[in-house]
Formats: sequence, structure tokens, C-alpha cells
Amino acid sequence: MKKLVLALAATAMMAGAAQAQSYPNRPVTMIVPFAAGGPTDIVARIVGEHMSKTLGQQIVVENVAGAGGTTGITRAAQSKNDGYTIMMGHMGTHGAAPALYANLKYDPVKDFEPVGMAAGTPILIVGKKNFPAKDLKEMMAYLKANPDKVNQAHAGIGAVSHMTCIMFNSQLGIKPTAVPYSGTGPALNDLVSGQVDYMCDQIVNLVQQIKAGSIKAYAIATPVRSPALPDVPTTVEAGMPEYQVTAWNAIFAPKDTPKEVVTALTDALNKALDDEATKGRLLELGGVLPTKDERGGKWLGEFVGKEVARWTPVLKDAPK
Amino acid sequence: MSGQVAPSEDQSRGLIKSTQELGAGLFLIAIALFFYWQGMDLPRGSLRALGPGMLPLALVTLLGVGGLMMVIFSLFEVGPRLERWSLRGPFFVFGGIILFALLIRSCGLMIAGPVSMIFGMMASDEFELKEATIFSIAMTIVCILLFKTLLRLPIPVIGTLLEPIFPF
Amino acid sequence: MEAFLGNLAMGFGVALTLNNIFLCFVGCMVGTLIGVLPGVGPIATIAMLLPITFGFDPTGALIMLAGIYYGAQYGGSTTAILVNIPGEATSVVTVLDGHQMAKQGRAGVALGMAAMGSFFAGTVATLFIAALGQPLTKLAQLFGPAEYFSLMIMGLVFAVVLARGSILKAMCMILLGLLLATVGTDLETGQERMTLGIQDLSDGVDFAVLAMGIFGFAEIVRNLENPETRDVVRAAIGRLWPSKDDFRQSYFPILRGTLIGAILGILPGNGAVLGPFASYTVEKKIAKDPKRFGRGAIEGVAGPESANNAGAQTAFIPLLTLGIPPNAVMALMVGAMTIHGIIPGPQVMTKNPELFWGMVASMWLGNLMLVIINLPLIGLWVKLLQVPYRMMFPAIMIFCCIGIYSINNSTSDVLFTAFFGLVGYTLLKFGFEPAPMLLGFVLGKLMEEKLRQALILSRGSFSTFIERPVSAGLLLVAVVMLAIALLPSIQKGRDEVFTE
Repeated sequence: MKKLVLALAATAMMAGAAQAQSYPNRPVTMIVPFAAGGPTDIVARIVGEHMSKTLGQQIVVENVAGAGGTTGITRAAQSKNDGYTIMMGHMGTHGAAPALYANLKYDPVKDFEPVGMAAGTPILIVGKKNFPAKDLKEMMAYLKANPDKVNQAHAGIGAVSHMTCIMFNSQLGIKPTAVPYSGTGPALNDLVSGQVDYMCDQIVNLVQQIKAGSIKAYAIATPVRSPALPDVPTTVEAGMPEYQVTAWNAIFAPKDTPKEVVTALTDALNKALDDEATKGRLLELGGVLPTKDERGGKWLGEFVGKEVARWTPVLKDAPK
Repeated sequence: MSGQVAPSEDQSRGLIKSTQELGAGLFLIAIALFFYWQGMDLPRGSLRALGPGMLPLALVTLLGVGGLMMVIFSLFEVGPRLERWSLRGPFFVFGGIILFALLIRSCGLMIAGPVSMIFGMMASDEFELKEATIFSIAMTIVCILLFKTLLRLPIPVIGTLLEPIFPF
Repeated sequence: MEAFLGNLAMGFGVALTLNNIFLCFVGCMVGTLIGVLPGVGPIATIAMLLPITFGFDPTGALIMLAGIYYGAQYGGSTTAILVNIPGEATSVVTVLDGHQMAKQGRAGVALGMAAMGSFFAGTVATLFIAALGQPLTKLAQLFGPAEYFSLMIMGLVFAVVLARGSILKAMCMILLGLLLATVGTDLETGQERMTLGIQDLSDGVDFAVLAMGIFGFAEIVRNLENPETRDVVRAAIGRLWPSKDDFRQSYFPILRGTLIGAILGILPGNGAVLGPFASYTVEKKIAKDPKRFGRGAIEGVAGPESANNAGAQTAFIPLLTLGIPPNAVMALMVGAMTIHGIIPGPQVMTKNPELFWGMVASMWLGNLMLVIINLPLIGLWVKLLQVPYRMMFPAIMIFCCIGIYSINNSTSDVLFTAFFGLVGYTLLKFGFEPAPMLLGFVLGKLMEEKLRQALILSRGSFSTFIERPVSAGLLLVAVVMLAIALLPSIQKGRDEVFTE
């Protein structure tokens, strides 16, 4: 056993000399705070694949799900700030979390080095197939007239569908009966079979159901229509312009990660966003990509501050 | 599982006719009390809107009643006695697992594997240090090849403590 | 009928290209491997292998990933039988009689029968999906929260029937399982419940963590203190192949299991977990001598294993025809499809017929491959049992540790497993059985969720469970079954406990 320790120490010393190489010289771990296969995970894997090519080292996605994504981000925030652990943050973890989790162990604004926005997915307002409203205006009127009758589904506290619908309801000034589900799948299932009346969720989860006519889409909460669903009006067109929500995903590094490392990561991310194949994949999901102005760490840093300020009052007042 | 010993000399027991049943009942009551203590502050809600504490409270109550019934039965009905408890097995096996958990992130599978396995193997009365060392190192190599190389799981092989000095 | 055959032919045309056969084979191999390794589940593996599939065409990629999924189901039964560790909720039942058979030197027979039952079930389920997939989806849409709740109640009754010894003890274990399922963040209010302030418990206890601790580690400790019981497994190596009698006993259980599993698998709320339990209950109830169950009855392996595999396959129906994933693995398949540019939904069948029918055909092909891969391996597995226990248990230990760690890359999960191992050991000492507890745990999460959803939707009226016909029917079945289960033990008193 002693010999083994000695041998290890010797190798370690020799290896120490090789440390001075430039970043990155070993695989980079990207913590995704949600389960594999979800929208954030998909964005991370698509972007990460191209970034690996630029960096010359594999970006390994590590899914650390739990507590609305805050478990994974907490872990990532506390890991070594050498650029070998980065994370895919999200509207929930870096916008809504301070309002939802009283004992959150990180500050979305102060505890991270923003690398850049990756991609977002727009939010849609959808209703069950035979919901008695033909457009958003009628829907708003119906919801206001029948507050005791309507049921709104969401995929659990802290889920995108939960937060975004709270914002929708609070802007409308209504408090419908909220039915919690343990995920988008079961919630969508009960919307399709007509057990619940309406919900708000990311376009990627809904697009096929809308195309097949098993649910009705009322509006998309972006300034322009989505190429994935050209027939669905925006909230601006449909009469609720103040409702603008996108479930964004962005890369962050732990606080005080060296500047040159963050720059290398930002460049790699931008290259990925410029790549036609990567772009195509993200657009196919119905995703929205950052414009040239919205790229990079500086913009993202400011954006996170605005998001926290926007979500906090909405979620703090909301009935849970 | 072959745990239940046939009650042979059953008639000659004292007040408690089945120590296993008594222990089982007391154990359940203890669990019920523990969960009651943990969950008593949760709002129970109403039937119209069940609160987070309603179901746990109902379950805890039923569990406690079940435990109580077992305690009562143990005084009247002859049943198996409590088996001998060993300390060596649980100590080394669970200790080995805990060592694995403590070492895996910082020192990686490379260290956590052999250490936890050697410690765990001490649970067996046939333990031999040399054999255990060779076996655990060989097993660790197999595991690295299997989980890291073949299945590509993100399991740390080197660990954060040693990573800066092992740049592969 | 003609369209049906045409579709199947098209499917086989897709599945039988050299490329796809190869991918299917690779998927089945990897699946078997991770299934056999305790703890490493298909979710972690599929997630890690996803990037590799970026280069393939979508059909090929999905064929491979699907192969991993049912390969893992297959491999999981092997571990359940050999070392008494259920890797997934669906193999808990296999442990009961499968491991007993292994202890009697009939591991080969159990493995062989499981493989053949699974193959038969897989074949039937493939045809089932092809012929009835779409109409059955409509049926599944009848299931709202109230119906699911009643279904779960029925499942809990199965757990009582499952029990071998004292019914009181079994019921207490179910209650304990239900109680453990309530640990974690409350779905409706977001409040943390009984988490002891530990952040890693905020999403509740993971099934694999509980199962690995209660079954796997507790069994290791127990074996270490009784050298006699563990050496039984080593010493007695009986026949490798099921005999004619074994086959005769298994025909009908396999048929019934296949049917039960296939039907429950269609339900979008992960009804597949109930399949093996339901099958076991049925076999035990109609057996001439129910006492054999839990002591190595081959029907208790053949039926549930068939139900398990049939359910695993028909669970693809809600995914392929509705685009709604019934469980975590299927949710991952949705992710995989999405990455490949196919967003699953009601239109996959008409818009991507090659993909749909290719996958259906590859399921059958995969099952065939699994039998071909697994039958020769039986000899190897049985030999593995002869490894001295002092080496066997650290190997199981390290595999479990790595597997548990890799579920969520979490060290606290590993610590929890050690804790549940200790709990499991204590429970064994007090004569409790772990299986009903696990079933209670699995059903508990769904049950509370569905109960509260149903009550929210009915605005607090319990009559919703009786007013809705499907729900009322399920509850009626549950009551009748409970009566059948309880009557004999009430009549005979509690003597039955000691009639071993």
C-alpha cells in the first residue's frame, strides 16, 4: 500500500509540470439542473456538442435534477471556478428561484460569471380541444367570467408551466383552480383528454398536439410568430401585449472564473450559435436564438438582474 | 427469507410470547412517532383541499395502530423469538458504502473503489488483506473500464483533489 | 387487415436493413449489460449515449435506444434472480420467487423461463401495438385522476395478496412505503415534507436508492451472518434448462401475464408498474397450492416476467400515438426523438410511418436478439453464483455504489442507500417483508398526486370516485379482492403465519 502511495505521489509531481497548458486540457463538465431529455437538456447537448469541437475537449453533460433546478445550480455554484465546471442556467434557476425558494444558497446575479445566452423556447397559452373560446380575447373574457369553473394545469411548483401561468393569471387578475401534476407529460395528458381547461408551457412540448388538433393554441408570448407554428398569433396581436415570456437557457460559470476562460467559453458558444447545423437543430425545436446584441456575458449579466426583478413580485404575491 | 424459526419450546415462555413480534410492533411505533414529530407542523387542509400534512398524518396514525396491535398480539400469541443481531456485517458493509460516498467526488473511483471495498470485505470472517487488496484494485480497474470507458457515465475517476496533478 | 400487414411489412423493411439490425443488436447488448449491473438504470445510460446517436438517422438511433430500454428490463430480471436486487419497480416481484429458485439451485430454470416468457410476451405485445395501438389509445384517454386513484387502490390490494406471512405485517409495510413516498416537496404547495431539512431529500427518495438498500444491502448483511444460506446458492447447481414439467406449469401464467401486462402498459400514467404485481396476484390466487409462492414457484417468475416485458413494450403506445411519455425513460425517448428533429405527437404515425413501423418491427427483432443473447449467457450467470461470497459481496457493493451515484451524480443518494440498508436489515430481523413496502412506495407517489388532483377537480367531493363508472368498477374489484385475501386468514386465525 505504501508503495502505491509513493508511486502516485511521484506521478503526481511529474504531472504537475504539465499543468501550465492552456485551457481546456481536460473534459469540461456542464451541469444541467434538469432531467435528461427535457428542453434545457436538449439545448445543452446540442450546443455542447459544437462547443466541444471548438474547445478541443469534450463537454460532458451531467444531469443534476431536483428542486426546480436549484439543486444542480447550487452544486455548480459551489464547485471550483477553474472553468472545468460550467452550467446551463435557466429562467427558473436564475430568474424565479429567489422568489420561490426562501433558503436559496446562491444569488443569481452575484454568484456567477455569465458566459452567454444559448437559446430559449417561447411560451404558449393552450386550452383543451373543446374549450368554449375561439381566440385569446374570448378566452380572457371566459376566464374572468367563470373563475370557479375553470381548471388550470401545471407541472409542479417551480416548473416553467407553473411560473409562466402565474404571470398570465396575475396579469389577467384571475385566480383559477390550479391542478398540480408531476411533470409536463401527465399534465398534457389530462389537457388532451379534457380533464383540465388550460395551461401555459414551452412550445416544444405542445407543437405536435396543436398541429394534430388535440389541443387549441390561443397565443404565443413572443413579439413575432414562431416559424414552427405560423398560424398561432402573438400575444401582441391577440390582445395581451404585456404577456411576454420565453423560457431561456444560458451558460454560466462559477463566480471568479478566470476572464480568459470565460472568454474562451463565450467564443465557443457564439461559434456554435453561428453554425448552420446547430442553429437548424435549435430552430426545429421552435427555439429562439439570441440576436447579435444579446450574445456574450455582459448582456446576460444585465438580463439576469432584470429577470429576477420581474419574477420576484409576481411569484411572491401569487397564491400557491 | 428463512428468518422465521419454528417455535419449538413455545409453551414455556413468560409474559412475552414472541419477542420478534414485540420488537416489530415497537419499531413501527417508533417510526410512527418519528414521522409524527416531523410532520405535525404541516398544514392538514380540509377535505375540499387536502393539505400537505393530511395524508402523512393518516398514514402515521394507521402505522401506530398497527404497531400497537403487534405489541398486544406478542403478549398472547406464541411466535418466533428475536434473532441474534450481528454488528460486524452492518458496520463494515455500511461503513464501506459511506466511505465510497465520502471519497468519490474528492479522490475519484481510483481511490474510493479500493478503499470502500477493502473496508467492506472486512465484514467477512474469511478476510485476508492481501487478497482483498488485489481483488479490490482489479475490481476498480474493471469498473473504470466498464462505467467510464464503455458506458461513458460521468463518474469521477480521479476526483477534484487529485485532478490538477493528473491532467488526462 | 391488408393495411396492417402492409404496415408491418414496411416496418420490417426498415428494421431489417443491415445498419438497423446492427444498431438493434448493440442496443440490446448495452441494455442487457446495464440491466445486469445493479443500480445502473437505462436513464443514465441513454442520456450518456445520446450524443453518440447524433450521427445516425433518427430511426436507427431510436431503434438502438429502444433496444437499451428493453434490454435493461431483461437484464434486470437476471440480477433480481441471481442476487436478489430489483433494479426497477417492475422486477420487485421477480425477486420473490426467482431468487428462491436460485437458492434451490434452479437459477438456470428461472432465467430460462423468464427469457422465454419475455420473448413470447414481446412477440404478442408487438402485434398488439401494431394492430390495436391507435384504438386503445382512445380507451386510455378515459382515465382521469379519479380512475388512476382507484387503479392505485387496486394495486395496494395486490400488495396485501403478495404477502407471504402475516397480513397485519404486510399492511404495515405498505403503510410505511406510502409514508416514505410522501417525503419530499409537496406537489401542490411546494412545502417540504419530513425532509429533516436535508436539501437532497426535497425531491423525495429515489426508488433505486430504496430498493438497493432494502433488498440489496440488507441481503448482503444478512448473508454475511448466516453462511449456511448463502452457501446453498453456491453449492446447489441444478439443471440449466427448464424441464417439461416446468414448461407445463408456465404456459398459462405466461399467457395471462402477457395479457395483463399489455393492457396495463397502455395507460399513460405508468400503469406498467402494476403489471407484474397484478400477474403475481392472479397466479397466486388461482394456484392449487398458494403456499408454494414465495418459496420458488415457477409460475411466480413466468407470469410476472411476461407481464413486465409486455408492459415495457406497450408503454411505447402512449409515446408513439399520443406523444405523451408515461414514465421517465419514455420522457428521455421524447428528448432523443426531439434532438433528432422528430417531435413525438399524434401525427408521428402518419407523418413518419417508416419510423413508427420500423420501431414496432424492431421491437420484435430486439426481443428475438435478447433471447439469442441471453440463453447462452445463462450458463455463465449460473457459474457466477459459484464465486465465493467473500468476493461476490464487495463486487455487488461497488456496482451498487457506482450505479446509485450515477442516477443523479449525487453522493447523498449513496449515503441514503446505506441508511436504507440498515433499515432493511432491521426490518428483516423483525420478520417484515420488503416487497409490499416497495409496492406501497411506488404506488404512493402516484396515489397521493391523483387523489389530490381528483379532489381539486371535483371541488372536494369524494363521490367522484363512485360516480365515474370506470373508477367505481376498479374500486369494486379492489374490495372483492381484499375480501378474498382476508377471508381465509380470518377463518383460519393467525396460525397460517407459522405453517412453514
